[in-house]
Amino acid sequence: MPNNKEVVLSLKNINIVFKQGKKKFHAVHDCSFDIYKGETFSLVGESGSGKTTIGRAIVRINQLESGEIIYKGKKISGQIPKEEDRQVIRNIQMIFQDPASSLNERATVDYIVSEGLYNFHLYKSEEDRLNKVTKAMESVGLLPEHITRYPHEFSGGQRQRIGIARSIVMEPEFIVADEPISALDVSIRAQVLNLLKQFQVERGLTYLFIAHDLSVVRFISDRIAVIHKGRIVELAESEELFNFPLHPYTHSLMSAIPIPDPILEKKKKLFTYDGSEHDYSVDKPSWVEIKPGHFIFANEKEKEIYKKKIQERKIHNEEFEKK
Amino acid sequence: MAEKKNKDDLFVLADNRSSDAEKIYAPNYSYWRSVVRSFFSKKTNYVALGVLIVILLLSFINPLVSGYTTDAPNINNGDLHLLPPGTTFDGIFYIFGTDHQGDSLFAAIWAGARTSLVLALVASAINMSVGVVVGAFWGYSKAVDKIMTEVYNIISNVPFILFVTVFMYIAGSGFWQLVAAMTITGWIGIAYFIRTQVIIIRDREYNLASRCLGTSIPRMVTRNILPYLTSVIVTLLSREIPSYISYEVFLSYIGVGIDASTPSLGRMIQMYATWMDQKPYVFWIPVAVAACVTISLYVVGQNLADSSDPKTHMI
Repeated sequence: MPNNKEVVLSLKNINIVFKQGKKKFHAVHDCSFDIYKGETFSLVGESGSGKTTIGRAIVRINQLESGEIIYKGKKISGQIPKEEDRQVIRNIQMIFQDPASSLNERATVDYIVSEGLYNFHLYKSEEDRLNKVTKAMESVGLLPEHITRYPHEFSGGQRQRIGIARSIVMEPEFIVADEPISALDVSIRAQVLNLLKQFQVERGLTYLFIAHDLSVVRFISDRIAVIHKGRIVELAESEELFNFPLHPYTHSLMSAIPIPDPILEKKKKLFTYDGSEHDYSVDKPSWVEIKPGHFIFANEKEKEIYKKKIQERKIHNEEFEKK
Repeated sequence: MAEKKNKDDLFVLADNRSSDAEKIYAPNYSYWRSVVRSFFSKKTNYVALGVLIVILLLSFINPLVSGYTTDAPNINNGDLHLLPPGTTFDGIFYIFGTDHQGDSLFAAIWAGARTSLVLALVASAINMSVGVVVGAFWGYSKAVDKIMTEVYNIISNVPFILFVTVFMYIAGSGFWQLVAAMTITGWIGIAYFIRTQVIIIRDREYNLASRCLGTSIPRMVTRNILPYLTSVIVTLLSREIPSYISYEVFLSYIGVGIDASTPSLGRMIQMYATWMDQKPYVFWIPVAVAACVTISLYVVGQNLADSSDPKTHMI
């Protein structure tokens, strides 16, 4: 992670509620975090926990109930001037989960990749546009001759790369990657991940990476936020979170990672979490920084326990070093 | 040792170029070319299309040549009345014979078919264009949906035939009156159907992707939504055109359709119905032609709709 911590995107106490008639569903509760320039920030959690909802709120497909989203010091949620809106659209792009449904089946790859260019007229001449499209195609490892083809002629991995080319051609600064590899075959996941990493190094991109596969998250991210039922329960740097998970839900997620060794896997103890560990009836929980850079959702009593754990570990580490 | 050496000879390290793996060897795909190929891969389509073309040519060219009018110029020439099909009289060959007024049945039928076809084409062109445009916005906007659904509930509860009959009684019979009767409420069913289709594809992920790229609503409708509805629209057309012909025949038959001065299949069938027992051919030939027109239109339309669905383009 870069040393200069310039905040690119910041979510402040956002709540997202889906309404249908009188029915309401509170999808995201009071969620806040900052994303720094050039980092990969991951959001992990089980299905239906609200990860995608947050991602879509950032590209402004979902409306906020309350709170605000700030991009480079400017509010981008709610009603904003049209000119600013277009700026934000250019700079924040999204990569979708399902390559089978996120491409327009009735358009050529040429149109799909240039759609953003057409919308913002980001080209000087027809030649220039073709040139940009060709470059984008090459940068994701596809061939220039593919631009006359239709999406159904491609494999899943190729289609996902078309989706990446479509967002990369806009030259964005921030990309919301919504489970970009979960719909892909295991054999081509690494290819797409490496591509994303490569773009980050080359163009200084910032990613919000949404996933439920922890092994992938560990490989790609700098910081990780764990979300459970619409609430962020823990946020820490990647290695810190993997080595010393504090929140019981994070614990249970870690214990669910399969170990590629049958003997170890058999001995592994699964840890289930259902929320009954907490007693929030009197002592209300809050979002606290328990250690520099390590945030957790806990009440006073739990805070003490977590602090004790951190202390113990410190002593343990010191003893280990002495030996 | 020798055996191993042998193996080394048998296997050569393959040259691995990743760009080769990306190549697509299938020929380039083109939507309309595939539609045509798929359509003509069925033998029955040649027959249906052939019949349709013959019908269209006859009904648009024959009336120009035959000079048929509804004035019944031969009504006083008793020798010409009710000649059986295939008779030559006065050096003129009557392929379908003549009717009770001494008019050539062949000329009368194509003059009538022309009116019926033009009526069906005009009515469906109006209904389809209004229906598709209204339906697209109806499906796309939730505010429009609220109002339009109520309008639809009211209009669709009035039986169409009842509405058209009452309207024709009030407006009087005639070609344009009939067009008006069919189009004043006829578009709403089409619009509702399109609305449902739009709602199905409106929230698909590729539309969200287009929103993320800042695509405007008109472009969304023309590039993302309508291309998906091509086969649905063709299916609708193949149902609408024959149904208007049937409506015309039915309404003229019950006496509220087109006025007596305009030839039409429906009015002709009504007029000849009295001869059903004595001279069956006078009645049945127009009925058979009306059936051929609607069936060939329907078959060609349905098969064209099938062909325009890209799912049928896979080899």
